[in-house]
Amino acid sequence: MTHTGWSVFSFDGIGTTWEISTPEELPEGARAGLLGVVEDYDRSYSRFRDDSLLAALAREPGTVTLPAGANELEQLFTKLYRLSSGAMTPLIGGSLERLGYGADYALRPLGHPVPAPRWEDVLEWKGTAISASAPLVLDIGAAGKGQLVDLAAAVLRSEGITEFLVDASGDMLHSSAEPLRVGLEHPYDPAQAIGVVELHSAALCASAANRRAWGDGLHHVLDGATGRPVETVVATWTMAATAMEADALATALFMVDPKVLEGEFDFSWVKVYSDGHAAYSAGFEGTLFS
Amino acid sequence: MTTPLRKGLLVGAAGLSLASSVAACAPSAQGSTPQKTSTISGPYKDGTYSADGDYISPNGGETVGVQLTLAGGTISAVDITVHANNPNTKEFQGQFKNGIAAQVVGKKLDEINVSKVAGSSLTSEGFNKAVETIKSEAK
Repeated sequence: MTHTGWSVFSFDGIGTTWEISTPEELPEGARAGLLGVVEDYDRSYSRFRDDSLLAALAREPGTVTLPAGANELEQLFTKLYRLSSGAMTPLIGGSLERLGYGADYALRPLGHPVPAPRWEDVLEWKGTAISASAPLVLDIGAAGKGQLVDLAAAVLRSEGITEFLVDASGDMLHSSAEPLRVGLEHPYDPAQAIGVVELHSAALCASAANRRAWGDGLHHVLDGATGRPVETVVATWTMAATAMEADALATALFMVDPKVLEGEFDFSWVKVYSDGHAAYSAGFEGTLFS
Repeated sequence: MTTPLRKGLLVGAAGLSLASSVAACAPSAQGSTPQKTSTISGPYKDGTYSADGDYISPNGGETVGVQLTLAGGTISAVDITVHANNPNTKEFQGQFKNGIAAQVVGKKLDEINVSKVAGSSLTSEGFNKAVETIKSEAK
C-alpha cells in the first residue's frame, strides 16, 4: 500500500519482490516493459545463473560487452573503490562465495576469508567493455538493484507515467507531488521501525547486515581488503536523486567515513552501529526514535 | 532514553530529529554546534505543537519548522524540519546538523502509520530457503 487509492503491480525479479505503485492501473505495455527490463538485467549481471554475461568471466578470462547502463556502474564503482581504498569493490564475488554465499547457497564457509583481487591487477572496465585477466566472480549487487529501480522508473516515464513508487523490497524511487511516509526497518526486528522519513520524489535505499546473515558473524557486506564481513555497522539508509547512487552509498557507508562521501555525492544518510547508536546527516529529514 | 523537560531543548536546525529529545544531549560529534538553546518550563497541556521559525542567514531569510509532542508533561517527540532554500544554506546547515543518536529504539510498525518500510535489501527466496534448511538441520 502506498498512496491511498493507488494500484500495485507486483512481480518477482532478481531474486526479490517488486511492487510498482501507480495512481492508475498499469497498462499491459508498461507491465511487459517492466518485466523485460528486469529480466534483461538479470541475464546480464547475475552471479547466480550460469547464462549471465558476468558468469562467463567467472569461468575463464576474457572480455564481455555489457548493456549501455554499464557506463554509469563503472564510473560509480571506480569512484567508490578509490574512496574506500579498495574496501568496496565489484570484485567481492569470490570473497562472498568463499564464505558460503555463492550460487549454490551453501551458506557454509569454504575456508578462511579471502580478500578480493585488486581491481588494477585483474580487471579492465571501460564503459560497456569489461575484461578479466583471470577468472573473476564479479558482484555489482551494491549498486545493481538501485540501477534496476532507476531503469524500471524509466520504463514508466517512457509510457507517460509520471507518478509512481518503484519498490524493490525496500530500495525505492518515488515520484509524486505527495510525499510518502516510510519506516526505517529495525535492524534486528522487521516488525519494528527505528524511525520515519518523508520520501518525496527521490530514492531511498537501505543496506543491512541482518537479513542476509547465515552464521556467526557472517553476512553479505564484506570489506574487500580483508574479505571479512564489516562488524561495526548494522544498517544504513540513504536518500539521493537516483536509486543507483543511493544503493551504492548505502553499502559504501559500511566502510567509508560519511564525510568523505559527502564531499563527492549529493545525498543524505543514517548509519546505525552495532552498539545501537546512530549517526545521521544534515539533509535526512524525518524522525529517529531514541 | 527519556530526557526530563528541564533539560534544555536544542533548537539547532536538525534535518533528522530525534524523538524523545535526545537532541538535548546529542550534538557532540561531527562538529555539531547548537544554534540556540531554550528551556521549557511550566505546565503545558499534552498535545502536538508546531511552529515555523524564521531566521536571517547570510543567504537571506530561512525557515525552520519545529514540531513538539508533549505527553504527561514530558516531550515525547521533537521534529525539526529545515526548509533550506538554496544550496549554500543547505551546506552551511549541514556543518552543524550532522548528529548522533545515543541509542535508537524500535517502535511497532502498526503504531507509526507508515505506507512503506525500507530495510535490509535484496533477500532472495533461495537464500531464505537455505537459511531455513540450515536451521532445521541444526535442531
